[in-house]
Amino acid sequence: MEPVIRVEKLVKRYAGRGLGRRSAGFTAVDSVSFSILPGSTLALVGESGSGKSSIGLCLSCLEQVTSGQIWFEGRDVAALADKELRAVRPKLQMVFQDPAASLNPRWAVREIVAEPLLVQGRVARDDRAERAAQGLERVGLGAEYLERRPAELSGGQRQRVAIARALILEPKLLILDEVLSALDVSIQAQIANLLVELQRALGLAYLFITHDLRIAAYLADEVAVMDRGKIVEQGEAEKILRSSECAETQRLLGAARVERESVDAVRQR
Amino acid sequence: MMRFLLRRLGHAAFLLLGVSVLAFAFSTLAPGNYFDEMRLNPQISAERLSALRAKYQVDRPVAVRYERWAVALLHGDLGFSFAYNTPVAPLLWTRARNTLLLTGTATLLVWMLALPLGVWSAERLGRPVDVALSWATAVLLIVPDLALALGLLVLAVRSGWLPTGGMVSVGFEGFSLGQKIRDLALHMVLPVTVLVASALPVLLRHVRAAVAEALEASFLRAAEGHGIPRWRLLYRYALPAAAHPLIALFGFSLGALLSGSLLVEVVMSWPGLGPFLLEAILARDLYVVIGGVLLSTLFLVAGNFAADLLLYWADPRIRAGAPER
Amino acid sequence: MSARSRLVICAAVLGALHVAVACAGFLAPYDPTAQDREHPYAPPMRLHFVDTRGGVHLRPFAYAQGLRAGSFDEYEENVARAIPVRFFVSGAPYRVLGVLALRLHLFGGDAPVYLLGTDGYGRDLLSRMLFGGQVSLLAGLIGAGLTLSIGLCIGAAAGFWGGWKDEVLMRVAELFLALPWIYLLFAMRAFLPLAVPPVKAFLLVVVVIGAVGWARPARMVRGIVLSAKERNFVRAARGFGATGGYLLRRHILPETGNVVLTQAAVLVPQFVLAEMTLSFLGLGVPEPVPSWGNLLASLQHYNVLASYWWMYLPAFAMVPFFLGYLVLASLLQGSSRTPKIEEASNWV
Repeated sequence: MEPVIRVEKLVKRYAGRGLGRRSAGFTAVDSVSFSILPGSTLALVGESGSGKSSIGLCLSCLEQVTSGQIWFEGRDVAALADKELRAVRPKLQMVFQDPAASLNPRWAVREIVAEPLLVQGRVARDDRAERAAQGLERVGLGAEYLERRPAELSGGQRQRVAIARALILEPKLLILDEVLSALDVSIQAQIANLLVELQRALGLAYLFITHDLRIAAYLADEVAVMDRGKIVEQGEAEKILRSSECAETQRLLGAARVERESVDAVRQR
Repeated sequence: MMRFLLRRLGHAAFLLLGVSVLAFAFSTLAPGNYFDEMRLNPQISAERLSALRAKYQVDRPVAVRYERWAVALLHGDLGFSFAYNTPVAPLLWTRARNTLLLTGTATLLVWMLALPLGVWSAERLGRPVDVALSWATAVLLIVPDLALALGLLVLAVRSGWLPTGGMVSVGFEGFSLGQKIRDLALHMVLPVTVLVASALPVLLRHVRAAVAEALEASFLRAAEGHGIPRWRLLYRYALPAAAHPLIALFGFSLGALLSGSLLVEVVMSWPGLGPFLLEAILARDLYVVIGGVLLSTLFLVAGNFAADLLLYWADPRIRAGAPER
Repeated sequence: MSARSRLVICAAVLGALHVAVACAGFLAPYDPTAQDREHPYAPPMRLHFVDTRGGVHLRPFAYAQGLRAGSFDEYEENVARAIPVRFFVSGAPYRVLGVLALRLHLFGGDAPVYLLGTDGYGRDLLSRMLFGGQVSLLAGLIGAGLTLSIGLCIGAAAGFWGGWKDEVLMRVAELFLALPWIYLLFAMRAFLPLAVPPVKAFLLVVVVIGAVGWARPARMVRGIVLSAKERNFVRAARGFGATGGYLLRRHILPETGNVVLTQAAVLVPQFVLAEMTLSFLGLGVPEPVPSWGNLLASLQHYNVLASYWWMYLPAFAMVPFFLGYLVLASLLQGSSRTPKIEEASNWV
């Protein structure tokens, strides 16, 4: 089966700022390659600074790659100009970590969810409102949420709105950048399950970026572990979880285990 | 430390250069020059006019004139005044000195009043005294300088207590030293009052706001818990903490020393830089105008520079290289 | 009283003041340029309700003023001649908004009633103050509008483009900030032709005022645009293919609204003052068109200052407007916030 997206030797360097102060640049992503099959999930796991968010930004064409290729629908989107990208963008959507920051606080939910339609300019206003309502339903929110503002919603609800917005253009690949990290633990489970459902219903591919190896293993088919810009281990989720020999993976696993143990310890008390 | 100094100096130099170019461009690109007026005067012959024009190099291209002027400037020569037929520099120094006498006194007074009043007010935030003071400053704020200056002048005229303009009385030369000082001081009362009255409300509000904010800081609560006396707390702890915005304001005060009093000087007939430059502008006396504008800008830039230095010395965070602005 | 209702009340009062000035034609009893050579420097006339015989009248009246015999600037009331004040009278023609021609005035009398006295040419001071307000306020409003427009464009451009374009624009802004603005104002005005017809002079004044002060608003707008640009909802919009123009229009510029409004409230009175200063010194709106500035210009003469106190009254015309704008600005800023140095030094 053809992968939905194939990344080849992606490099992202950030230039130094100003004169004389940190003038040496910094390589966030160092020659990374992977591919994602349609309808499947690849989890990109690593600590902050490992480069995973940069990869997400490059894939959704929000940042320029320094070198490398991103093959999507037969074209290298890393090399496309803005105008040509416009047609491609709807297929590659991103959902951000903090929903409070990724939704314009002055807009109503209806406008937020329908915004991609407005930007792409192909849909009339009434249709937009209808599609917004449908989009909300899909993520489990009723029509009463249409006229509310983000400030009136809880974290989980906001994230659902963000997901509805990302889905409204019917993308093939969804890039989820730490979408669960800002939520309470109980809500995390809800949203995670919503994501699984949506994937099954719509045949979406996910690039799931996270620092939590457990969640990654729960959601993903394949896991790639990142350390300082490079992929240090990649393979089936189950296998990595159980029998990994890579130092970084062990560390991440250990961190997850410590978390779980401390939660258990608190419960026992 | 050196790098910081050099950077600020370079910045200041750039500003001065830019301002001089702008000022020159404005003045020369505008229609009309000093000699157009003379052309209308039948008493001056055409030959004399063209001789004068050649002498002052009025007909050279702008860039050349600028270059000559800039080079001369570096030698301390500010050019020649068409109207007075003397070099510009001594004219400016005398006038500037008069202005500084006025604004220097006013600035000193304003700060001496604003600091204690502001601290006092911040301590009693929200209480009747503070509210009353706020209202008083608001009243001062809304009365425009022009109205204030003219109003005081009207009062002076009708009551006859104070001289109504000018810097010195007739016969000043013959006074004894004591009389001279007294005469000068009397003449200064009105303009200084106007200057203080217009600058005080703003400064007072800022001191009050900055000190009030500093008073809320937790390290102050800790000091209070140690039993440090109130006044010490205010002046040795709170005020320095509030210093940052106040130093910036002080820089502005310094910077405005030459340019802030133009209106007052004109209304009160004080022979300062303001009226002199106004006259020069109206007469199209090019080099006087440019020299004057540059001098004021120099003060402004120097004021900011001094503020930067003070801030650097006062605030260890800046020394450590935290990003500014 | 909530903050919002306070804001609305303040805006309403300020608006009413402006409307009053806009209706100068109706409220003013006389044409501001109409001269009355028989009554130069006449003091304000008092309104009475009780006449010399003790009779009470419902309609207010004034006694005619005439020069005292033998003097040329002292007036006395002629109690034999009472002038009843009538309301809604027909008087000198005027135009509303330059289009509608009307003759209706709020009050007037059979003989001249000068409530605030006259100037050296016998022109009614009250009328001149009202019409002068139109000129001065308009100069301030248009000037502030110009400055804010320029500042908004440049600040948004600098913040949005970033990079070297931003650097260049901000350096230029610094230059303008470093120039002592009052001298810049005078220099700009004086170096343009001095003898121009009133309308052109007015426009010149406004353009000069407006072109001087853009640097500070530009810096503020730039700051807001810079931070708004990095917000994730802007990035998300870019992710759906939004163009730069769309982002600015629908997401970024709305964030600047508060700052722009506050700056407007701070700048308008400053610019009115600038117009007053220029006109006072003879560089602004020329005679015979009145403006609050040139109404005060005659006070530069000692004898006017000493003898004709009512000529000082135009200085107070500005005060209620200043107050209104000051309150508006502080309400918009939120009075509990420490006023930033950037904004405050506007007053310095």
